[in-house]
Amino acid sequence: MYKIVNKSVERIDVYEKVTGKAKYGADLNCGSQLYAKTVYSRYPHAKILKIDTKEAEGLEGVIMVITAKDVPGNNIMFGKFPVLAQNEVKYIGDGVAVVAAESKEIAEKAAKLVRVEYEELPGVFDLEEAKVENSKRVHSEIENNFIEHSHHLLRSGDVEKGFKEAEVILERTYRTQFVDQAYIEPEAVIVLPDPYKIGVEIHGSIQNPYTIRENVATVLGLKINQVRVIQSTIGGSFGGKDESVMLMAARCAVIALKTGRPVKMVLTREESFLESSKRHPFQANYKIGAKKDGSIVAVENKVYVQGGAYNNKASFANWRASIHAAGPYTIPHIKTDIYGLYTHTIYGGAYRGFSAPQMVFATESLIDELAEELKMSPQEIRLKNCLKPGDEMGTGQILLPGKIPAPLEKMIREICRKTDFESKRKKYIQEREGFNPLKKGIGLSCTFRGAGLGGEGIDTASATVTIDIDGSILIQSGLVEMGQGMRTAHAQIVAEVLGVSLDRITFGNTDTAVTMDSGATVASRGILAGGNAMLIAATELLQRLHQQASIMLNCNIENLISENEFIFNKSKPDKKLTFEEVVKECLKGQGLSLSAQGWYNPGPEKLSPETGRGKAYPTYSYGTAVAELRVDVQTGKINVEKITAAYEIGKAINPQIAKSQFYGGILQGVGYAIMEEMRTKDGYLKTKNFDDFLIPSSADMPEMEVTIYESDDPVGPFGAKSVGELGIELIAPALANALYNATGKRIRELPLNLERVLLGKTLKK
Amino acid sequence: MVTKKIELNIKVNNKDYKLLVSPNKRLLDVLREDLGLNGVKEGCGIGECGACTIVMNGKNICSCMVLAGQAEGAEIITIEGLTGPEGELHPLQEAFMETGAVQCGFCTPGMILSSLVLLRNNPSPTKEEIRAAISGNFCRCTGYQQIIEAVQLAAEKMRKGGVKVNG
Amino acid sequence: MQDFNFIKPTNLEEVSSLLINYKDKARLIAGGTDLIIALREERLPSNLEIIIDISHLKELDYIREEGGYLRIGSGATHVEIAQNELIKRYAPLLSQAASLIGSPQIRNRGSIAGNIVTASPAADAVPALIVLDSRLVIRKGQEKREELLQKVFVGPYKVNLKSDELVEEIYFKKLPQKAKSDFSKLVRRNAVDKSRVNLAVVAQQNEDKKVIDIKISAGSITPLPQRFKEAEDLLLGEIPTANLIQKTGEKVAEEMMVKSGYRWSTEYKEPVVKSLMVRALNRVLEVE
Repeated sequence: MYKIVNKSVERIDVYEKVTGKAKYGADLNCGSQLYAKTVYSRYPHAKILKIDTKEAEGLEGVIMVITAKDVPGNNIMFGKFPVLAQNEVKYIGDGVAVVAAESKEIAEKAAKLVRVEYEELPGVFDLEEAKVENSKRVHSEIENNFIEHSHHLLRSGDVEKGFKEAEVILERTYRTQFVDQAYIEPEAVIVLPDPYKIGVEIHGSIQNPYTIRENVATVLGLKINQVRVIQSTIGGSFGGKDESVMLMAARCAVIALKTGRPVKMVLTREESFLESSKRHPFQANYKIGAKKDGSIVAVENKVYVQGGAYNNKASFANWRASIHAAGPYTIPHIKTDIYGLYTHTIYGGAYRGFSAPQMVFATESLIDELAEELKMSPQEIRLKNCLKPGDEMGTGQILLPGKIPAPLEKMIREICRKTDFESKRKKYIQEREGFNPLKKGIGLSCTFRGAGLGGEGIDTASATVTIDIDGSILIQSGLVEMGQGMRTAHAQIVAEVLGVSLDRITFGNTDTAVTMDSGATVASRGILAGGNAMLIAATELLQRLHQQASIMLNCNIENLISENEFIFNKSKPDKKLTFEEVVKECLKGQGLSLSAQGWYNPGPEKLSPETGRGKAYPTYSYGTAVAELRVDVQTGKINVEKITAAYEIGKAINPQIAKSQFYGGILQGVGYAIMEEMRTKDGYLKTKNFDDFLIPSSADMPEMEVTIYESDDPVGPFGAKSVGELGIELIAPALANALYNATGKRIRELPLNLERVLLGKTLKK
Repeated sequence: MVTKKIELNIKVNNKDYKLLVSPNKRLLDVLREDLGLNGVKEGCGIGECGACTIVMNGKNICSCMVLAGQAEGAEIITIEGLTGPEGELHPLQEAFMETGAVQCGFCTPGMILSSLVLLRNNPSPTKEEIRAAISGNFCRCTGYQQIIEAVQLAAEKMRKGGVKVNG
Repeated sequence: MQDFNFIKPTNLEEVSSLLINYKDKARLIAGGTDLIIALREERLPSNLEIIIDISHLKELDYIREEGGYLRIGSGATHVEIAQNELIKRYAPLLSQAASLIGSPQIRNRGSIAGNIVTASPAADAVPALIVLDSRLVIRKGQEKREELLQKVFVGPYKVNLKSDELVEEIYFKKLPQKAKSDFSKLVRRNAVDKSRVNLAVVAQQNEDKKVIDIKISAGSITPLPQRFKEAEDLLLGEIPTANLIQKTGEKVAEEMMVKSGYRWSTEYKEPVVKSLMVRALNRVLEVE
């Protein structure tokens, strides 16, 4: 039995948040700071003929205007993002100059005075054009518009043979849209010239401090050790506070070094929408073959992913997509190809789920279409094909019982029973023909999700845990807190290991000068990788404390137990040392170190480049959802009435926080499914603020019922694996399937907005 | 054009202020920049998201949608003014902590203040009434579920215990 | 944010003389929920010199019954209108419309006159006020003139008020006890969203169920807020049947197309307006 882990303790950062004391990027100020404002491109694609900054520089209070030529080091960062566009703008969010002034009002005025002459150029604005177009290339240094290293494939069995065996074959195309992460806090950074040496210190709403450190160093022509990044409290990120913040940090850092003054930049919502990454739009072309009894024999797909003007995520996101492209099913023959494409548009990046929400929308819609064709129920077809213990996945990985859980069959049965899925489904089909224009529908979806980075990259993470003389404990992770509750889970892990109460523990914000490069806080790896690092650091400290305690108690170290703030010999429990006593003896009596860095390294996952097969992930999480909706067939308006969902996550370090991740993910999934869309037209961004990018309000939330399945998964700390991203990906397909149940109409493009639901097609503005 | 600063007398969190501000400042800017009340957040600048919600003369409003001068003579409560003189937390703050209603925390101040106005006018709101009352405060993290639980819990606490602090 | 000077007059008379002095260099601010967005986006003409605050003027903040009329001060906020007992009793559709505008925060600030003078085709209060036959009391200095509400709209986001005029009051006849009214709104998001379509109807039938009064207006489907007279004429003097109601719905959709021309959204809006109109009529009319 755990004392602290697996308990719904209060978040350790919540007091600061409910009292308004927590400082976010925009709340930070430094004396003598400058305010920086970016001048953005006027066209989606154009040659820059001339940039005239004189008028802006002449405005009183303007200190400096920089353009690409002022960048001391490399102007091009990871993913080809230019700090400032040089010679050519490739999308509407390109920055061409940055003004720095004594006040934000002056900066705003000055930005309007920077005169840029352009020669407009034709562009490639959608996937269809990008696929075939070689004359209009986004990046002239490559031969076409395919993003480098973004083609990922999976070859399993022989699809030709599979389709020959198939008795039913369906071919379908599914499409998804650009959406923004829509964190409520717009991006903010403040960059200080290092007061003690040449270099900079960057604070802000930063999801991935190490990427920013590395890129800013190159931009400045400095070494990595001259750039320090410290995250502020982050007002939501979901993958998004990455490229845009990297650009802001780089621009401000150039000015900070040149002026010797702190430089602050806060984006407006319009700028955030313009310049930050979006969820990649997918065009997923599928062919599926099955026997009449419902067993799937082959899946072939070609998936095209819109990357935008610059991109540093498609190569990773597409790999994840390739692993998940055939869904959580046992299928003997699979052929998958995922391609990323450049366009002169806003760009794709990371957003909760990465590429899964798009793929799961496609595969879980497809499986329902197949069921319909075979006159089976959606439950039946999933039960027949879903991954079961001992099964071989498309990648060749075996779901060995006791090693990798495969609980989907049970989860699907239970959720269908709980929601009365079968009888409601039949009833709603009958009601389709009725007079009432308000139709009800119920839909099912299920998923599996590789935990952590897996074969996408090296999944290492660091943690620093320090115990001080008063017995207080400081924990600092190389991964960041952005609201998901990671810090609290980490504190619970450390408290559990050391046998102390949580109130001893506080956190330090992620600081690149303290913790080692832990990579990005993505892929739901905060607990899996970050928590394991905490576990390692805490275990190391426990060893040191026990070493000392064994001397103090004159007993064998193996007999020691730390629990409820005491350390004692389990065979003589009446003589107890307090935690503080032992700490004091270690630090002051013996001069031992009570600071440890935990380094988690699961080792690389190796996959065959020819087939994409191999051990993709150390383990998997699972989920299933049932959506119930009411649709007005005369207006196309959907009201989502209830989402029932179940997730298998190993062990919940904090059940309340785990649930809150699911509730949040589910509602984001509802938004993705029915209302959210970043519209572009000929490369121009039409969706500018929250009046047009509609995210769900409290009046749009359905009733939500979430069940957590726990299992003994050996990979993560205390058996915990991934939580953050699972919530979102099941919702769009469950709703599309429910809509079909209600209306008999299949919509294969997101969002399921008023026009599409009513007319079954997309209206173009 | 040359603009003339205006004098602004406001009472914020029970304290009187006399300020001289630029006429084109919003109340949001005055609270954040002149008074350092950073618990007031800016999320969209167009009155949609509710992150800048404050209580002005008893009503929850978006402080980005009020020009500074319009607040002349107003009584304002921000999240900083919700705790009692000895730092006691308001039942809403306690409830938000207990139910897990906070993730990134950026919407939390506005969310709590909209809830505060609701509970002043309606000590026993239904779930539907809570949903309506906070419908102008967007939260991207929580799905609102635990926020609604928090407001229900706070209502219960306030009914039981009376209100000790600034509620 | 645009630059301007700010003034907070103490009474209406002062406001009027400021307007006469500054004319198009001045703008009034009440709730500010539209004006501040325009200032932020720097959409107001660059000759703007002064913003005159009227949000605090008690003279403009009232809702009262006078004779057979309801009189609403131009500064009355949406929440005041939504919650007012007189309006709930004598013009329930206006109460309904006001309660559906924006968010609680917007309803706490936004004023009824603001909803009118912004002249957004999606304004929610406007169609409701139109079917109530509302008139505006417009003031210039000491002079007052009156105008039928729909007459002030000359284009999307355009009203024909002079720069030295201000709306002082909106008034309309209380609905007769036997009249029925309805306001409905279609949105993409259930809160804080502008109408895709909104519909306002007032109707009255005599004892024989003959329609003796019918007024129909709608938002977001025509460039200018207006009545749908041809549709009204189909019903007026008739005893409604299901078939007639269908026809009236079709007529509203048809009038929409005549007035707006074919737009990207017409394919969607045509059937939707028809269906929603039929529903609204069914809520207010007793059908044979």
